[in-house]
Amino acid sequence: MRESLKAAAPIMGGYLVLGIPCGILGAQAGMSALQIGLMSLIFYSGAGQYLIANMVLAGVPVGSIIASVSLVNTRQLLYAAALAPYTQSDGKLAATAFAATVTDESFGVNLERYQSTTAAADVDAGASFATRWTIRNATLVNVFSWLTWCGANLIGVFVGEQLQVPSELAAFAMTAIFLCLLLCQPATRPAVVAALGAGVAMVICKWAGLNGPAIIVSALIGIAAAMGVRALDASRADPAATQPAVSEAVA
Amino acid sequence: MSWGTYWVVVGTCAATILASRVLPLLLLKGRQLPDWLSDALGFIPPATFAALVANDLLDPGMFDAGLWPGVIPWLAAIPVVVVALRTRSLLWCIVAGCAAYGLLLLIPSG
Repeated sequence: MRESLKAAAPIMGGYLVLGIPCGILGAQAGMSALQIGLMSLIFYSGAGQYLIANMVLAGVPVGSIIASVSLVNTRQLLYAAALAPYTQSDGKLAATAFAATVTDESFGVNLERYQSTTAAADVDAGASFATRWTIRNATLVNVFSWLTWCGANLIGVFVGEQLQVPSELAAFAMTAIFLCLLLCQPATRPAVVAALGAGVAMVICKWAGLNGPAIIVSALIGIAAAMGVRALDASRADPAATQPAVSEAVA
Repeated sequence: MSWGTYWVVVGTCAATILASRVLPLLLLKGRQLPDWLSDALGFIPPATFAALVANDLLDPGMFDAGLWPGVIPWLAAIPVVVVALRTRSLLWCIVAGCAAYGLLLLIPSG
């Protein structure tokens, strides 16, 4: 519990400052406090909620709103896939509850915990069991973040106008989180290529006007580039092999 | 907003995001994954975090309001990088980034 709270604290801080303007925007888009509270509970997507409110304000038709928001949120497919190997020994129900409450930020934090405690466990098998990150730890991180998000949204609805948080400053808290998570990744050659490839692809997507699926498209291009490097490295290490050998670079 | 419209929009969006969040995990869970696939899954974090950072820092309209507003996030990112590499702490990265960003906002763009 305490471990999870500690891991969730930066996310909670970020959600507090970003959730308040989100609540204000929702109210401006004509949603009641109940509607905003329910949306942050059952939908729970910062990017999605901002997008819905902005599109409603702009008078975009319902069908286009749904298509755009769903497309933006397809990036969650990648998070779920990346987390799957860490939930092998967990029950279906626990895994579903955990997966259903993943966000960009909690994905990053939980994955980092999973990676670092697994690595530590590999080094010291004896003392490892108690310190390994569990699905309970991970789900608690999600729940703390979730409740903070809902609370911040409601603060925005009720007292938001008095709190003048510049929205671009609030949004930069998330940028700082992503930047830190990126820099904490192991800097293996294919991982660096994955990051650079995704960054370049994002520039191309944005300047081509492809905004909705830009994150998942860029990430997939980065992953493809990394797989290319991985295959190249493997064939160089063992020119006779037709199939790329096992790469132990990234767990 | 009318409850009818609300439920169509929020209900559908909640269903699609839930499917995106849960289905891949349930499909891959409990399977012996081939090496290439587990390596590919390992490249998801660097690729998505880089895409998210680039998404926040780059936009075709970033210099629409002048050079200075477009440069602020980049300048504020510098202390975040330093703090991230030194401390690996999310909390300190947020503090450093938002403090730098706030101070830069105080400087008039001229």
